[in-house]
Amino acid sequence: MPLTDVQIQGAGGAARLAPEPIRFVLNWGRKYHLWVFNLGLACCAVEFIATSMGRHDFISLGVDPFAPGPRQADVMVVAGTVTDKLAPAVLRLYEQMPEPRYVISFGACSNCGGPYWDSYCVTKGVDQLIPVDVYVPGCPPRPEALLQGIVTLQHKIAQDSLADRRRRSPWARVRKPPAAALSRPLLAPPTPGPADSR
Amino acid sequence: MTPPLPPRSRGVIALLEENCTVCMLCARDCPDWCIYIDSHTEVTAPTAPGARPRTRNVLDRFAIDFALCMYCGICIEVCPFDALFWSPEYEYATSDIAALTHEKEQLREWLWTVPAPPATEPNAQPPREVAAAAKAVRADYPGGFSGSS
Amino acid sequence: MTADELAAAATTALGVAVTVEDAYPPLTLDVPADRWVDAARYVRAELGCDFFDWLSAYDALDEGFAVVVHSYALERHHHLALRTRIPREDPRLPTLTEVWPGANWHERETFEMFGIFFDGHPRLVPLLLPDGFVGHPLRKEFILAARVAKPWPGAKEPGESEEGGATGRRRMRPPGVPETWGPPE
Repeated sequence: MPLTDVQIQGAGGAARLAPEPIRFVLNWGRKYHLWVFNLGLACCAVEFIATSMGRHDFISLGVDPFAPGPRQADVMVVAGTVTDKLAPAVLRLYEQMPEPRYVISFGACSNCGGPYWDSYCVTKGVDQLIPVDVYVPGCPPRPEALLQGIVTLQHKIAQDSLADRRRRSPWARVRKPPAAALSRPLLAPPTPGPADSR
Repeated sequence: MTPPLPPRSRGVIALLEENCTVCMLCARDCPDWCIYIDSHTEVTAPTAPGARPRTRNVLDRFAIDFALCMYCGICIEVCPFDALFWSPEYEYATSDIAALTHEKEQLREWLWTVPAPPATEPNAQPPREVAAAAKAVRADYPGGFSGSS
Repeated sequence: MTADELAAAATTALGVAVTVEDAYPPLTLDVPADRWVDAARYVRAELGCDFFDWLSAYDALDEGFAVVVHSYALERHHHLALRTRIPREDPRLPTLTEVWPGANWHERETFEMFGIFFDGHPRLVPLLLPDGFVGHPLRKEFILAARVAKPWPGAKEPGESEEGGATGRRRMRPPGVPETWGPPE
């Protein structure tokens, strides 16, 4: 099975028959080079940045913080409070990530609303919008806790099989999603009101 | 690899179930409403003739939802019986958010990681519990310093 | 200038009774709502407060809403707060965007949080709340629904497993939830 087939959805029923060493090698390659997209929304973002810096350094775990955007990322770390106003944007960024994609929810606010659970405009946990793979508790969690969360994610990826991902993916019943379904029109700028002074 | 953590680091909360009298102060004061306590009362028969039957609260469930917890420490400060302690452990990330609600068995496991309290300043007054314990030892010592046998 | 001198000078300039409150820094000028823009112009021009810091409001219950503007004089180095009261039944105020253009977004936020209309504002639409949000959250009668929906763990008495165990005793309500709200019995 050529390696290029792995990234495309609908790799075919033959994926289920892939021998264990190939699955091990593919998962090994995927888990030790994760391009991370930091959805840094609040204070936890600073802890994420601290983890990427020299002292804690998650680059040594294989996580690259240099993804230019969600389209080139493997894992999205949601760090900070998700407000109701930003929720559609979080969903849109998640949908822009290509499969296989993983999400780490970093901090109490993105786990379940955290200290702002009773607010009128906070989404109580980013898992109300997108599927989350690892939850890192803390307010904010230590950088070392994020390192342990990344290691947990790597264990999870090692167990991953292509059949499971196909089952979990929204395109599970479709062999190949049509291109029209995956593209979106450009966002139009908001229409200015009369005598807009902004 | 554990970095050198400062004393009184806040990582996770441990529960000493024997000290808990189910006064519910921690559950009431928690700003996140993340402490769940269930209990029932038990009546024990009077020990001596003429004594009253005593009721006590028995803890059924004590759970802290660490997905919600913001690690403010109000529950530990407010507990009048010193049943809750800070522990510096921080590595308990999970894939399942329900696993972040730690029940009392798991909260007891965190107890073994609670460090000793930091030493007091030199020449400072010792904490009252330590002074009382020292006085009790002196009084119990056979032929003790108090003079009475 | 002390508080009394400021009050006297402002009263003379505006022609209405202006009081100054000295309880907290900065000094707070209380003006009636119909002289709101004139007072703002006076503060900016005569007192030199050209740096607009923030505009917001608070819910003073029976006395209506109080709208406060905080500004700073960059050259003379003093702060000043300007405050007015508007009735709850008809919360309207003229806009301050002519005096300080920075008040634009602050007035939008005050509009969505309290329901106060700013006449003459170029674009009075919600700023921070999501589309379709109903209600004015910072009013005191706005209830946080999450506090009603989630059962308060502290409502149980010691020695009680489920709600409803303690009969005949007044149930403790969680903080912030009035008596009339609650889960259906």
